[in-house]
Amino acid sequence: MPIALHDAHEDSESAAPPQAPVETDEQLMLAFAGGRSEAFSELFCRYKQPLYGFFRRRLAESAHAQAEELTQETFLAVLRAASRYEKTALFRTYLYGIAFRILSAHRRKAAFRATFLGSTDLEREPGRPEALDSGLHIRQAISRLERIDREALMLREFEQLSYAEIAELLQLPLNTVRSRLFRARTALRNILSPTPVSPTTSARIEERP
Amino acid sequence: MNIAAHTVSPEEVMAFLDGELTPEEANAVSHHLEECPECAYVAEQFRQTSRGLDNWEIETLPAKAEDAILTALAVTKAHNPSWMRPWMLASAGALAAALLLVFGVQPHPDYKMHSYLQPEPQSASVNMVLPAPPPPVPGYTDSIGDASAVQKTQAYAYSERATESKMSGVSGGGGGEQHKAESIIQQPMIARSVALTVLVKDFAASRAAVDALVTRFLGYPATLTANTPEGSARTLQASLRIPAPQLAAALAELKRLGRVQNETQSGEEVTQQHADLVARLKNSRETEERLQAILQQRTGKIEDVLQVEEEIARVRGEIESMEAEQQALEHRVAFASVDLQLTEEYKVPLTAPDDSTGNRLRNAFVSGGRNAAGFLLGIVLYAAESGPTLLLISALLGLPVFLIVRRYRRLRRSV
Repeated sequence: MPIALHDAHEDSESAAPPQAPVETDEQLMLAFAGGRSEAFSELFCRYKQPLYGFFRRRLAESAHAQAEELTQETFLAVLRAASRYEKTALFRTYLYGIAFRILSAHRRKAAFRATFLGSTDLEREPGRPEALDSGLHIRQAISRLERIDREALMLREFEQLSYAEIAELLQLPLNTVRSRLFRARTALRNILSPTPVSPTTSARIEERP
Repeated sequence: MNIAAHTVSPEEVMAFLDGELTPEEANAVSHHLEECPECAYVAEQFRQTSRGLDNWEIETLPAKAEDAILTALAVTKAHNPSWMRPWMLASAGALAAALLLVFGVQPHPDYKMHSYLQPEPQSASVNMVLPAPPPPVPGYTDSIGDASAVQKTQAYAYSERATESKMSGVSGGGGGEQHKAESIIQQPMIARSVALTVLVKDFAASRAAVDALVTRFLGYPATLTANTPEGSARTLQASLRIPAPQLAAALAELKRLGRVQNETQSGEEVTQQHADLVARLKNSRETEERLQAILQQRTGKIEDVLQVEEEIARVRGEIESMEAEQQALEHRVAFASVDLQLTEEYKVPLTAPDDSTGNRLRNAFVSGGRNAAGFLLGIVLYAAESGPTLLLISALLGLPVFLIVRRYRRLRRSV
């Protein structure tokens, strides 16, 4: 399954260039803003799975419905704001930017509900027994990272964004993104296979409290 | 195993694996990785971590959810096409509201006439109430040409005739006047009065038209009241006197001023009354003549003379009052009374007439300024009134608090 997911992703990324007439995301988006509605269907096909994954990984394991809901919300937001899309922005950054905003709005609402209505939020307890083992393991490992490190790592590993795109999304300098990513990855490696083999990396990891 | 021993840092290795290095940098790193097993190991570790993360699988988006999303997208597309942005909707709404305001307050005249106020049925009802208002008029003016001519002269020379009759009364009666009276008696004498309520569009113009009409028909306004109240329709109430023969023409013109809301015509038959009056007047004049003759021809005691004189004075008074009555009656016949009420079609003014926007703004600023000044003054007053007390309280409370805080800090520092 993970292979299928990544294959699908790769299809839209790297397998696209050989087929010459395939349009870029940006071209599609502009075509849609210009009134071609099939363009949006194409974008939807390209990004439904990545976006769903984006929300699934960032929400609680059991929060399927919320992930679906937020995916829908994101696409709706893109649809509504189509005319405001500027060619200068990469579509991926644009899309994930919207997704981030929707996610944080959702989190705020959930936190509010948890505080004032006392409903136990699913996000608060990640890792349910029903979760797949490997997924659960990684989820827990990632959840131990610092927030920004975690975001940078996830955007790089799962959304396959470039450093520049991550920097734009998280509003960080490019170098910071790189160092954060490095920190996150070394820490994650330590968590996942806790025998520090390389003195270089272990030395770095010791720095963290 | 110093980092300095390596030409590339692990971070660069990571960036290399992520494909984020420039071609030259990437070349250098790949060369180094071939030579340095330690760095190759680091690279392998990074790769492993990434592969490990790949194990975090996410199920594909359920088809059901995908359908739901597509439906939602389609609905949004249909309801919110790209050109229909919220601000566009808002401005379109504002425009529509403005148009509605302008045309709603001043509807098209035809529309108003036909559907809103329904004038046709009303005028029909006027006709039903007054099945035959005109008959007396044609009989009066057209059929008897001579008489109407006399009537006309009589009407126009009203004041002249009055003095004449007075003179004739003094001189003991004149044939001409008698003849006039007779001619009036020949035909039915009708005192006509009309009440007319007209709804007009242009009040000022209508009023001017009424004035012009009265002058043109040699009539006159007996009373005239114009009201210009603020915030409602202007009205004109006038009691006009129009020469009877001209009444029909005048009425027709008056009705053309606007929409007739109400019309009442009435005619009072005064022939009998007039004939009676004329007869009594004739009697009285004869009595007066006889008395005058007695006074001139007979001589007698002074007492008798005085009595006759007294009698003459009484009869003279009677005659004069009867003459006045006759004149009034004839006047009523000669001049038809038209009670006219003009009402303006009232339109609510678009801008409030009392306060202009500028004025209101100014007032708002003035009162805002006053409020601010009042507020400031209030603060100052409050400070003046309660300041000392507050200072005292804070001194009383603040000193112990300060002491406690200081002690606490010292304690913490010492710990």
